[in-house]
Amino acid sequence: MASVTSEQETPGYEVRLDFFEGPLDLLLFLIRKKKINIHDIPIALITREYLTYLEQKQHLNLEREAEFLLMAAILIYIKSQMLLPREKDYELEEDPRQPLVSQLLDYERIKKISQLLRTREEAQSKLWSRKNLPFSLSPPEEQIDLEEISIFDLAEKFFTLLKMKEGQSVTLPEGKKFSLEEKIREILISLKKAQFLDFEEYFYSQSSLEEALISFFALLELIKRKVVIALQDNLFQPIKVWLFQGRQDEYPA
Amino acid sequence: MNTRLKEIIESLIFVSLEPLSLEKIKSLLTDFPPEEIEKAAEELLQSYASNQRGIQIIQAAGGFLFTTKPDFDPYIRQLLDQERKSRLSSAALETLSVIAYHQPVTLAQISALRGVDSAQAVKTLLEKKLIKISGRKKAPGKPFLYRTTKKFLTYFGLNSLDDLPQEEELVSLLEEKQEKKNDSA
Repeated sequence: MASVTSEQETPGYEVRLDFFEGPLDLLLFLIRKKKINIHDIPIALITREYLTYLEQKQHLNLEREAEFLLMAAILIYIKSQMLLPREKDYELEEDPRQPLVSQLLDYERIKKISQLLRTREEAQSKLWSRKNLPFSLSPPEEQIDLEEISIFDLAEKFFTLLKMKEGQSVTLPEGKKFSLEEKIREILISLKKAQFLDFEEYFYSQSSLEEALISFFALLELIKRKVVIALQDNLFQPIKVWLFQGRQDEYPA
Repeated sequence: MNTRLKEIIESLIFVSLEPLSLEKIKSLLTDFPPEEIEKAAEELLQSYASNQRGIQIIQAAGGFLFTTKPDFDPYIRQLLDQERKSRLSSAALETLSVIAYHQPVTLAQISALRGVDSAQAVKTLLEKKLIKISGRKKAPGKPFLYRTTKKFLTYFGLNSLDDLPQEEELVSLLEEKQEKKNDSA
């Protein structure tokens, strides 16, 4: 077994803890660096190396580094197990290091796969398909990464809004009827003025349930005809409705 | 006849924003024998790959897709005034690797394999639609099970999950790495 005192040199290079994805990553790095046989890890040596890294940290951020500390505890536990007197050498499965070794091997495999995926991501990022291209530069460039949202997302949002509206007292404008065509025109006019509509805001501005429903159908119709497009920055971000450039002429307001 | 078939397929792939599958093409072109369609599609791919063109047809997520060739990426980014496409964080990529190879898999399993809590990474991947919830595990607490999506295949230019390196390949890759290490030692 490697003695704790024979290797007292501190690492001559600076590697920060945040550089590692987790304790397994750090352990694997140390094992490879020291050219240790992974199936016969000198636990004392690796524990000391490992702790040296943890000590570089002035302040431990518990949320992130708890896992690193847990691993330190596991290493020390394994070491204590190995110090227990025994009559003969371990069978493989009795070796207290065995669970950690298989965990490390699994993790090494995952790292390898990650690297392969990274290579593919790199290669793929240089290919542009038509879907990557901004549709006629509307919406503006900084919004290109927006996700087009599905009808289901839209409907779900709509019903949530409807529920919220239900609680409010609504004054019903008497005798006023809304037609789908009128609403479509209204949406197009506001879109031309404002560039985009905030889905949520728009429904809040509707005076009655009936009007809100008609507006929703009008919007669905416009999406279906590909005159407008509903986009979302990210999950739970506001949904915005944009005009498809070049198409609005087909629906003169 | 044959040339015409190639042209038809070419036009279909061109208008498709998502990868267009061979099955879909076959279902549209019922006048043509399926094996002729396959042959024509293959020839079409070849002709784009070998000819001096800026675009090509790739196979991704089980379908055909028009893309630009990689060499012209800098020019395209200039045209679109875009930076390099953003890359996944290594935590997200690692998590994705676990899911790709162990799916369907729970968050607890992912975190155990990585040795770190992976909730944030899973959330990011869900938002990016690279993974999806595929059900719940019949276990205490009924945790969600995660799977990779079709977008995952397209994102990495994989035709199907079978395109991922198999166990033997990975082992040999790892051993290679080991040998190199040992040689230099």
